[in-house]
Amino acid sequence: MNPALAQVLERGDIRRGDAFAVAPAPTLASGFARLDAELPGGGWPRGALTELLAEHEGIGELGLLLPALAALTAAGQTVVLIAPPRAAHAPAWAAAGIRLEALRLVLPRRPRDALWAAVETLRCGGVAATLLWLDELFRRQLPANSLRRLQVAAGEGGGAAFCFRPAQLAAAASSAPLRLQLQPAGRQLRVQLLKRRGPPARQAILLDIARPADFSPRVSHVVAGAVLPDAADSRRRTRVAA
Amino acid sequence: MAFPTPALACWAGRFTPQVNLAPAALRLEISGSLRLFGGLPALLRLVREDLAALDLRAQLAVAATPLAALWLARSGDDVICPDLAATRAALAAVPLTALQLAPPLARRIEGFGLRRIGELLALPRASLGARLGKPFVIDLARALGEIADPQTCFVFPEHFEQGLELPAPVAAAPVLLFAAHRLVAALAGWLAARNSAVREIEWLIDHGHGVITAVPLAFSAPVYSVERIERVLKERLDALSLSSPALALRLCARQAQPREARSHALFDGGGQRQEALAELMDRLAARLGPQAVQGLACHADHRPELASRAISGKPAARPAANPGAGSAPLRPLWLVDPPEALREVRGRPQCGGELALAAGPERIETGWWDGGDARRDYFIAIDGAGRWLWIFRDPRPPGGWFLHGVFA
Repeated sequence: MNPALAQVLERGDIRRGDAFAVAPAPTLASGFARLDAELPGGGWPRGALTELLAEHEGIGELGLLLPALAALTAAGQTVVLIAPPRAAHAPAWAAAGIRLEALRLVLPRRPRDALWAAVETLRCGGVAATLLWLDELFRRQLPANSLRRLQVAAGEGGGAAFCFRPAQLAAAASSAPLRLQLQPAGRQLRVQLLKRRGPPARQAILLDIARPADFSPRVSHVVAGAVLPDAADSRRRTRVAA
Repeated sequence: MAFPTPALACWAGRFTPQVNLAPAALRLEISGSLRLFGGLPALLRLVREDLAALDLRAQLAVAATPLAALWLARSGDDVICPDLAATRAALAAVPLTALQLAPPLARRIEGFGLRRIGELLALPRASLGARLGKPFVIDLARALGEIADPQTCFVFPEHFEQGLELPAPVAAAPVLLFAAHRLVAALAGWLAARNSAVREIEWLIDHGHGVITAVPLAFSAPVYSVERIERVLKERLDALSLSSPALALRLCARQAQPREARSHALFDGGGQRQEALAELMDRLAARLGPQAVQGLACHADHRPELASRAISGKPAARPAANPGAGSAPLRPLWLVDPPEALREVRGRPQCGGELALAAGPERIETGWWDGGDARRDYFIAIDGAGRWLWIFRDPRPPGGWFLHGVFA
């Protein structure tokens, strides 16, 4: 295809009559075909907040984003981490395909500064993706309107925005248009779409994310024991909580 | 207009590099700037906006000759004569008081019963020279554009350093932004006149009694616009608390560099994105401190805690030791620094339950030459909650298991 035409067709406000019933939202391919099929627009949303509720750290919550982040940095686009929970280990990020010169870390010490930095970064048109870890700094007392502010800021900047939050908040109301619950499932990562634009997702999906070792642990008791709430159920609970 | 100062002359550099600093007036040679600013009305609008933002009241006039401009500005506001014919016509109505002549000369002319320049010009020029002196007639000819009137230009200094006294002591740093605007506007004009940009500026806040707070401001890319500088300054001032009220403010820029030609990438938003990013990083660093904004780089050292380096400011385009994907052994994205000692039960490491060892050991032994001696056997482990961890055992006594990373 003519490159100029291809560029035009990529625009969010151009609609091809033969392909989509509605103009697709600008998205970012996640690198996981099964996940893209479930995400509205076929990928991670740009210009909107995505909440990732991981049961624990270290279950592959970043592995879920790495293919998309690697693609962004390879294209020379900037990725910013705000208040990451631990020291980032450069060789591992580089090995995951992230171009380090396109990566910036922001380490605010006070919660107020962290929220300010998050809003300013999301609003900046020069940042393609922002990863946020705010709950720890706020001692899990993130002010109620914060997500709303972040969502508005992401809309202004137009970049992808991923907010990592404790899994206990799954039932809480949120203004993020996309919410995912992440649980370990052996080598795989179980992703439950708690909320998305469009019809509710009924089933969790299992993704093969990159693991450091070729090893399949016993299915942990957390996954084996708990009955996963189905999306409609959690929506009902959300409404009650709200 | 407030008494024109070198700072004000610097500000005028925004419009033209040819500025004349007269005792009670500032004169700008704008004929070369009209096209750049989109015509005379647009330029005048900018001048008025700037003056309002600087909180300065001025009488503006435009004329074809410097002296006519000065007389017209003294006689009233907003006399705009874009060419010589209009200038001569407007001069006729100017009262002779606007010429601010020496008192004896003024009295003599008053004795003739003349009030305006027009009435003066109606008299034969030769007799004017005989009665009022040659210098006065030459001035008239200069104002009318009959003979040339070269002006001495303000010399924009090599280094920018301008200060101002605050009208009242300022206790809260953010309030300084208002006073700082005059100096930033002066700096921007100075930069425009010299076609240069700065990466570093320094603010000196004077508290009196010789106490001065220095507030350096660094930019990730050369800057020259008022808005860009003030947005970063605002964050810095918001985060600053003053030890005692400020009495005066000074702004220095020592190392200006030539401005790079702007790339006119019309269809590529890349340049704009880079600019927005640079500004964001500057503002974050100004408010959170320079250490709070980092880049990440690999460092060639086998000890994991030394293989990753935080770099302040903008990371180099291509760091030297940046292994490509897949070439390095697997390492965790997060490092637990310093390593956390793990509990042991019957020689097996515990971390929220017993850990299953998925891979290992990988022996890392290095650092004996610089005292950071390390010998460790690393394992990839998975705990009961499904977390993938990087742990090591120190084979030397007293030994023990440690958590050193998290594969996220």
